[in-house]
Amino acid sequence: MSERALENLRSIVLDFDIDNAEKVAKEAVSQNVDPLEAAKALTDAIREIGDGFEKGDYFLPDLVCAAEVLKKAIPVITEEIQKQGKKSGSLGKVVIGTVFGDIHSIGKGMVSTLLYAAGFEVIDLGINVKSDAFLDAIKEHRPDILAMSALLTTTAMEQKNVIEGLKKEKLRDKVKVIVGGSPINQEFADSIGADGYGATAPDGVKVAKSLLGIE
Amino acid sequence: MQKGFKRNFEPLKILTDSQVEQIHAASLNVLEEVGFKFESEKALKVLEEHGCTVDYQTMIAKIPASLTEWAISKTPSSFYLKARDPEKSLRFGGNTLYFFNSAGARYVDIDTGTVTMPTLEQNNLGVIVSDALDSVNAFPSYTPYFEIEGVPPVMSCPVSCAQRHRFSSKPSRGAQPTYSYIWETMIAQACDAQIMGCVEGAAPLSLAEDPCNAAFHYLEAGFPIYIASGSIMGGSHPITIAGASVSHNAELLAIIVFLQCIRPGSGVIANNFVTAMNMATGDLNFGTSATSLHQMAFNQIWHSYYKIPINNTGSAFSNAKIIDYQLGAEKLPLAMSSALSGANLIVLHGGVTAELAYNPILAIIDDDIANTIGRIVEGFNVNDETIGLDVIKQVGASGTFLSSRQTRNFWKTEDYMPKMFDKTGYKEWVENGRKTVIDKAKQKYEEIISTHKPLPLDDGQDKEIDKILKEAEKFYKKKGLI
Repeated sequence: MSERALENLRSIVLDFDIDNAEKVAKEAVSQNVDPLEAAKALTDAIREIGDGFEKGDYFLPDLVCAAEVLKKAIPVITEEIQKQGKKSGSLGKVVIGTVFGDIHSIGKGMVSTLLYAAGFEVIDLGINVKSDAFLDAIKEHRPDILAMSALLTTTAMEQKNVIEGLKKEKLRDKVKVIVGGSPINQEFADSIGADGYGATAPDGVKVAKSLLGIE
Repeated sequence: MQKGFKRNFEPLKILTDSQVEQIHAASLNVLEEVGFKFESEKALKVLEEHGCTVDYQTMIAKIPASLTEWAISKTPSSFYLKARDPEKSLRFGGNTLYFFNSAGARYVDIDTGTVTMPTLEQNNLGVIVSDALDSVNAFPSYTPYFEIEGVPPVMSCPVSCAQRHRFSSKPSRGAQPTYSYIWETMIAQACDAQIMGCVEGAAPLSLAEDPCNAAFHYLEAGFPIYIASGSIMGGSHPITIAGASVSHNAELLAIIVFLQCIRPGSGVIANNFVTAMNMATGDLNFGTSATSLHQMAFNQIWHSYYKIPINNTGSAFSNAKIIDYQLGAEKLPLAMSSALSGANLIVLHGGVTAELAYNPILAIIDDDIANTIGRIVEGFNVNDETIGLDVIKQVGASGTFLSSRQTRNFWKTEDYMPKMFDKTGYKEWVENGRKTVIDKAKQKYEEIISTHKPLPLDDGQDKEIDKILKEAEKFYKKKGLI
């Protein structure tokens, strides 16, 4: 019974079955499946999609739809993990968002999904995020990494404003900062004092892992 | 006034009349039932006064179909844009076709494809080259480069606008971000010119505060407005061309309603820049069939049904990193389909490496493409003189037309002879050093920058621009943006 429930969880991700995600997760809980194993089945499946995306076997709609499945299924499993007093492991915690003045979400969304698929806990603040909102999220969630996206030349400097804010709040040495987006390059990332830069979404994940010393 | 090219045949139609009606009706439905987000209380108040149902919490205005229809009827089918040199002014609309310079964030080396930050001098030379090219009729905002070495990002639009006015007498489009419209309006007025204002939406279905403010500002100055809502099919618009046509149409119509509510009768040119998403990377797929079909459908609806002037940006860029076959193969079909389907303005010259880069040498090659397209849309005359039945009879089965008066009279106008493309014979090509189109364009570039002198501003105008830029810098410093 438990194996079939785990297989069903895996299938909803690989079949991009958003409609049945919550139902299948609830069924797994009602069948007393270990919630940590349930969470692993889901994250292993989305990791498979993430790996396939990097190889060119899967494409963006696959990645995004798989992430949507997890958004529906994971809260059910997480609730059960907490109820049973267990702890789920992750590679690290990431706060991510597109900076103030910029409403581009696609690149940021890709990085967010791939980070999640790689095993990070991701707190996605969305788009047009003000500097103060980034700082508040860092105080609240104490992430290992702050990831910021900017697609416009005119908003790229907002990444610097956030980094300056971190310094003022004495938070800079508490979090690694990675930046990305069309107008960003390594030179720019260095100039604003970021710790890392990713030219593509998969690069962003590699940089995040490398900054935390993960192979 | 620049005459551009006159399309002498009916634009190509790819939709039936009932399909046009269906897209229009669906667009009205979206605006009535979903509405459009205007991130400005001032804008929402104007819309409410004109009959929209406004939710100030969500900033969404639901627009009655009757108001949208009214706004379409108030938008003129043509408008005049005054350049600082009256001979360079433009009249958009009808069957006139003009070309807009393209742009890129940075400078691309023509031989290696390496992209670097342009200096102010490289920026100025780019403007001078386009000033010299007959087929470049106007400049968009932040052209030719989005970024300039040593210029703070927030000053890039005003500085770019100032340099375009200094090094070209052709008209420009203004920009909208971070109060740039204030300084760009002042620069144009200091040169006794107009600029096309810019009000660009953010798909899906929203307009940020900056473009709302820009709309009020540019309309108060009496400038015509360029409207746009750049989008990605599969991302901010539906993946289907029909669905994306409805979303995009609704967005531009909402902006038309907003503009006509502020100042009825204002001239507007509506841009189409909707590309399909590369589902492997999330980037834009330039020069593909979906973009072309979307543009052609848009052109048919806006040119023939709404009768509002239209701009197409599909041919502005290519995913190619250097000037190669891919670049031409991505840009040309898009520009051609735009021209055939009724565009009044096509963005073409100089853009490469997606939106990342620009080179004036490519603009020189694109000048030949623009002239070829322009010549095609002008069509040909059919009359006794051009048919020349008497000449055909005279030559019969054994003579030549080369010596006829008809050939002498018409050979220059019946065809466009490209200036950069190689039309020599093989032997001559070898003897002349096997020059490529890029070699010839490089030579032309050197010739232009050493001989072309743009119409200068007078001393007073130049000093006034300096003053405006200093004022802008002070303003942004005070706001902590520099």
